[in-house]
Amino acid sequence: MTSFVPTSEDTAIYEFCVLYPANLSQKEEQTLLKGMEEIFTEAEAKQLLRDAWGRRGLAYPIKKQTEGNFIVFYFEMDPQKLKEVNRQLGILPNLLRHLVVKPPKGYEVVKYSEHFEQWLKDRATAVETQRKEEETRLQRKVVAKAKIQAKRTEAKKKEVTSTLEEADLSKKLDELISDDTLGL
Amino acid sequence: MDHRKQQQQQQRSDPRLKKCPFCLKTTKYIDYKDYPTIKPFMDYFGNIMKRYYSGLCLKHQKMLKNAIERARFMGMVSYRK
Repeated sequence: MTSFVPTSEDTAIYEFCVLYPANLSQKEEQTLLKGMEEIFTEAEAKQLLRDAWGRRGLAYPIKKQTEGNFIVFYFEMDPQKLKEVNRQLGILPNLLRHLVVKPPKGYEVVKYSEHFEQWLKDRATAVETQRKEEETRLQRKVVAKAKIQAKRTEAKKKEVTSTLEEADLSKKLDELISDDTLGL
Repeated sequence: MDHRKQQQQQQRSDPRLKKCPFCLKTTKYIDYKDYPTIKPFMDYFGNIMKRYYSGLCLKHQKMLKNAIERARFMGMVSYRK
């Protein structure tokens, strides 16, 4: 995690993202990279960081290419020369896309690989927390069920005792009724 | 009638009560290279989600739109599936 600050007031920091096809021969790739370097050296741009993403698939085919190589550069250069650099990059052969962005103040530059690793870690922690939540939820459910079960059994026991009492009562009543000495 | 009303309330929370997830993190800039943050605000067809559904504030919706359009141009995200 680094954030670049322009050294003087006349310069600014720019982020260049470049896309070129993955199926280029080594020679073509070399010439392309050299051409890019020349453009930047002509504009007296100072390279701060170079982050090659490597070969990856595109979301949609560009000039019949389905795979491409991304490179992200950070340059410190004169804003007045930016237009010329942009034009030159547009002319460069074998370059599919290029994009220039001026990152905001305090923008923290993270390399793609680091960003990916961080994302993997975050995802793992997220999965773990979700699992823990699920476990606690299940435990609560089990406890609640056990409570309900206990209540039910208690209620059943009570019912049984009450029925027993009723049976006793009815027996006694019968005895009373059947007793002739009372003269009912 | 009351029962039905209650059911509806349970199913869907009031969209006006949603809070902007970027405001909660005090995001100042949405990066076009950061796919995982952009992804949840796009649907299957590659359209940007409406503010009404995502609950974003206008400031962050504009930032998101910028980021998604840049990512689309660079071939990281599709225009249309």
